[in-house]
Amino acid sequence: MTVLSELGTIVDWEKGLVSPAIHFDDEVYREEQKLVFGRSWLVVGHEDMIRKPGDYVSNYMGEVPVVVLRDNKNQIRVLINKCSHRGNQVCLFDRGNTQSFTCSYHGWTFGLEGELLGVPMEQPFYRGELNKENWGLAELPSVANFNGLIFASFDPDAPAIEKWLGEDVSWWLENFVLASPTGGLEALPGWHRYRSPGNWKLVSENFIGDDYHVFAATHVSWLHVIREFLDQGILIPIVTYPGSPTRQVFEGSAGGGEGGPLGLGMIVLDDSIYQRDLEEAEQLGPESVEWIKERHDRLQKVLTERDSKPYSFMNGLLFPNFGLMGFFSAMLGRHFLQFHPRGTMEHEVWQWTMVEREAPQAIKELAVQRVYQGQHMAGLIAPDDVENFERMVESTRSSQVWDRPFHYGLQLGHEHEGPNSLPGNIGPNPSEFNQRQFYKFWLKQMQASRTPAGKE
Amino acid sequence: MVTFELRADVEDFLNREARLLDEHRFEDWLNLFTDDAEYIVPLREHVQGDVGPAGHPIIRDNKMMLLARIKKDQTGLSHVEIPSSMTCHLISNVIVDETQSSNEVQVSSSFIVRQARKLRDEAWWVGRRQDILRRVGDSWMISRREVNLDMTVLPRGISIFF
Repeated sequence: MTVLSELGTIVDWEKGLVSPAIHFDDEVYREEQKLVFGRSWLVVGHEDMIRKPGDYVSNYMGEVPVVVLRDNKNQIRVLINKCSHRGNQVCLFDRGNTQSFTCSYHGWTFGLEGELLGVPMEQPFYRGELNKENWGLAELPSVANFNGLIFASFDPDAPAIEKWLGEDVSWWLENFVLASPTGGLEALPGWHRYRSPGNWKLVSENFIGDDYHVFAATHVSWLHVIREFLDQGILIPIVTYPGSPTRQVFEGSAGGGEGGPLGLGMIVLDDSIYQRDLEEAEQLGPESVEWIKERHDRLQKVLTERDSKPYSFMNGLLFPNFGLMGFFSAMLGRHFLQFHPRGTMEHEVWQWTMVEREAPQAIKELAVQRVYQGQHMAGLIAPDDVENFERMVESTRSSQVWDRPFHYGLQLGHEHEGPNSLPGNIGPNPSEFNQRQFYKFWLKQMQASRTPAGKE
Repeated sequence: MVTFELRADVEDFLNREARLLDEHRFEDWLNLFTDDAEYIVPLREHVQGDVGPAGHPIIRDNKMMLLARIKKDQTGLSHVEIPSSMTCHLISNVIVDETQSSNEVQVSSSFIVRQARKLRDEAWWVGRRQDILRRVGDSWMISRREVNLDMTVLPRGISIFF
């Protein structure tokens, strides 16, 4: 009897009981590389990171290094960063602009379409017998651009991205995460990266819906400082937690049918944050006020047919490992986090920042500053999360303590008690509904036959 | 001209400053910064060819934000520093240069900081600093510090000072 063979029993998402074994068992980890990371659509970047031909960024899909690039025909490609000859890494930079990648082992050189351009001393040694067409870099067979966000999949028969996401997830991503109605997002170059203890699922489930930890314990020191400074009239940049019980705060959930679920924590359904953004914009000048009103008008047009009028979200996750931060406010940049798996004991966070493209410069500057002073490796928030994961690993790594499941019972049976005029499900907050949805879908992928996703 | 005495004076300042951090005397440490001080940690990355600089640094604090970090750890609820990290700041390779301003010097130094947490969790932070020190009365104050960490992936979240 192995952990893997018992998943159907020990991942009891319906009761909100999930064994910690799924985080620490090596066999589960190896299988999920194939069954979860090998078959899901994974985010690999944003088109704005690679604006001109030859631009590229390095990233990972699961444990596999990839290069995301724009070729000379303006097509976005995702290549596996592994020489076709003997498996050496061919790109050693985090980002750049180039026309080719040359392997440091034997000097094989590849073009932007992955094609093998040249082999040193090809004529004398290979005598014209090497068919270079067969020896390009491996390319991800499925690549999609969804409102600027670039997805890739190892699965050649992956369902269309629209089908994987579904209408509800697409609606929330497009309108609230990627800010399409308000002119889209602009990327700030650079990966902000840090190592963090624990299996990647620990942090993914945190982002998909754990707003309980924010004000119950983990981040109260940050909230105390904000309150103390505000009481003294001191405006340090990151002041944007709503923190008032009178506000209408809900949890959003979508997807989880054919494709992975999206969870959005702390969707605010009244105009309190809009009013606060307006007040702040007044301190920045008329151009900023104009923009806050303008983007609000554009959002209202999207919401014409809806009884509920969401303004923003705080946190979220798109299955399996793509974290989203919006922090409620138009005065704070979006930040996107990828939780790359690094075994059962560790994951690596790769984070990037975006701002609303059409926002005035004054708002962009403030928005960016608030990103790196908050949910960021040197901010006042993320390091406390890392500390929790370290403690969880210390106390739960031994299989002696895996019998007792983790508890995900918050709002069990109450998950649908919210307004129902928006795509997906709007339920009470805080809740652990989204964590239950996460493990429901994870279990489905782990139990699926080896038939690639999308094939009947 | 940078005299032996000046260099010795600056080194003594940096060593005493490091001791304040290692003894967790953070408010005393903050008092060494001028009111207009900047504390910057740039993003380190490996880039190739014609690309723009990083969009934002890891840290760009003014004195108020440094105070916010200290206040956070004083709430008694800042788990990332409960129990407090043990740190040892080793400061070395100190070079003092004159600046255009008669009351300021530019100081570069290298550091190794070992951070120990709980039973056996630890991080080693290594890099170089560029400081602008300003003469105020009888003592030095830090008016600008730039910390270049020699790492592109941080070993853990930053909850200490360099």
